[in-house]
Amino acid sequence: MLWFLLRTGWKKLWTLFFISVISFAVIHLAPGEPSQIDPMNPRFTPQQLERYRKAFDLDQPLHIQYLRFYQRLFTGELRSFKDNQPVLPKIVERVWNSLWLFLAGTILVWCAAFPLGITTAIRRNSVLDKVTTVVVFALISIPGFYLAYLLIIFVVQTFHVDVIGLRTFGHQGRNLVWSFMDRTWHLVLPSVLGATAGIAILSRYVRAQMLEVITSDYVRTARAKGLDEDTVLYKHALRNGLLPFVTMLGLIVPGLVGGSVIIETIFAWPGIGRLGYEAILSRDYPIVITLNFVAALLTLVGTLLSDLLYMVVDPRIRLEGVE
Amino acid sequence: MARGAATGPVALMVSPSRLAWRSFLRDRIAVAGMMACTLFLIVALFGLLVTKGDQPVLDPRQVRLADKFRPPLSLPNRQAVAADALPRLGIYLLGTDELGRDVFARMLEGAFVSLSVGFVAVGIAVAIGIIFGGIAGYYGRASLGLMTVDTLITGLIDVALSFPAFFLILTVVAILRPSIWNIMVVIGLTSWEGTARFVRAEILALREQDFVQAARALGVSGPRVILRHLLPNAVAPVLVSATLGIAGAILTESALSFLGFGVPPPDATWGNILSDGKNYLFDAWWLTIIPGTAILVIVLAFNLFGEGLREAFNPRLRQL
Repeated sequence: MLWFLLRTGWKKLWTLFFISVISFAVIHLAPGEPSQIDPMNPRFTPQQLERYRKAFDLDQPLHIQYLRFYQRLFTGELRSFKDNQPVLPKIVERVWNSLWLFLAGTILVWCAAFPLGITTAIRRNSVLDKVTTVVVFALISIPGFYLAYLLIIFVVQTFHVDVIGLRTFGHQGRNLVWSFMDRTWHLVLPSVLGATAGIAILSRYVRAQMLEVITSDYVRTARAKGLDEDTVLYKHALRNGLLPFVTMLGLIVPGLVGGSVIIETIFAWPGIGRLGYEAILSRDYPIVITLNFVAALLTLVGTLLSDLLYMVVDPRIRLEGVE
Repeated sequence: MARGAATGPVALMVSPSRLAWRSFLRDRIAVAGMMACTLFLIVALFGLLVTKGDQPVLDPRQVRLADKFRPPLSLPNRQAVAADALPRLGIYLLGTDELGRDVFARMLEGAFVSLSVGFVAVGIAVAIGIIFGGIAGYYGRASLGLMTVDTLITGLIDVALSFPAFFLILTVVAILRPSIWNIMVVIGLTSWEGTARFVRAEILALREQDFVQAARALGVSGPRVILRHLLPNAVAPVLVSATLGIAGAILTESALSFLGFGVPPPDATWGNILSDGKNYLFDAWWLTIIPGTAILVIVLAFNLFGEGLREAFNPRLRQL
């Protein structure tokens, strides 16, 4: 047990180190050498370059640059090019808005994907299974923004309601109940759209896991003992079928930044994805680079959590370290 | 009993890949996906033939301002359009766009560009995945001081999985400026982890087997053992992740186009036709619906094909 913890911690430390190096290395993709200033390209102005060199200490040796970058980041010395605010507080402020979207989306994903995956596995090859397979794959195969446009047009034309932004514009003085309902409604479309890909992927994952479990020896044994089908499925098989819940915990976190760029841009949602996109458009490199780092860091924390949870729910993992 | 003894040896003569193939053919959805992919390949190659060159049969770049926003199946305006600019087919099969360009010709041109984005990106990803997976699996125990080769490479895989792939791609493309090659390379560089994992797992499982020992005893070099003796066993998972990867790359390209960082004009891809077309959604629905549905269908086909392969090659999920 302790051995497992130590090993996991050691691995995560290495991962953290690599993450910090790669996040930092992205800086060097940007214009760093004067020879790269292209007079025809309005993005690489000498002023921009000078600012960039100063912000990331490009005149220092590499390892000093690396250390200075993280020192500046955590002391609040690294500031946005756009409004000269420290980078970290700016990001934290936006995370708050994204978090609601992310939570709503994640709850939707879990509520839909597990029942769907388990049912389709139990009734493999039924019409339900085939139809869900195609529908679910259609959901991950459709370009997100295309689906979003179709849905927005449909909803707006059918219900004549406002769907863009955090709340309906021009109703600030309304009572609490009204504005709560309004905000909740504005959460619906973006979170449904954000959840589609997650539902599709997780439900396939759950289905595959459940199929493996159903065909495994211990389930056959349970049947052979003469247990009724419900006990076999819901008491014996389901427990292992729920393992993807733990695995996905770590893997959904990158969606907080990456998956939200398009949805937040379409819905004018002042979240972290839109912050990133705006930063990219305005060449605000400190924000862009920090966002990549923060997202990777969050994922690392997510996978660490899922590793620890695995240890609690799956004794096979614990035993692995003993061997 | 006697019957079982008679059929036993016969059954053993069927190779595992043959078994997988049979199981795949029984999956009608997957076969439909495969046929759609093949059809798309043919269309893309055909599109390349008819839209490239100085005098293409169907010119996707011919601007006809008199004939802009014509709906699908409309006839050209013969009074206003010069005779040599008239569509070769005599009709706008899929309508025209905001510059009066023939959408049918643009879709044909875009088919090949989109397909090559998918193929090149996946080619890069698979190559990196095989190299890293192969090294981690075969030379994994070699020590590098603080850690082993295997720890290093699995660590790299974890790191690559930690970054939000889409945002990282967006960052790199925005910094390096979007060109078709940059986009292919960046998508490839950010999607090799799956292949690397599968190849590593497969090689780890086979490394100690007799045929590998025999090859080494004969003096076969490491890289050759990996490529000739071990890798063929990992073809199935690599094929699966490549198929799904092509689908993902086409989608990523369209998402980049939407944000303005896609393949720049004059190259047409289905992604940038769609993202340009959505600006005219209310005036010209076909500019959105046609490329959007085309992307949906082809990505769906690749996904279903890949999923079918995955199920067929997994002996535990195979249905006989």
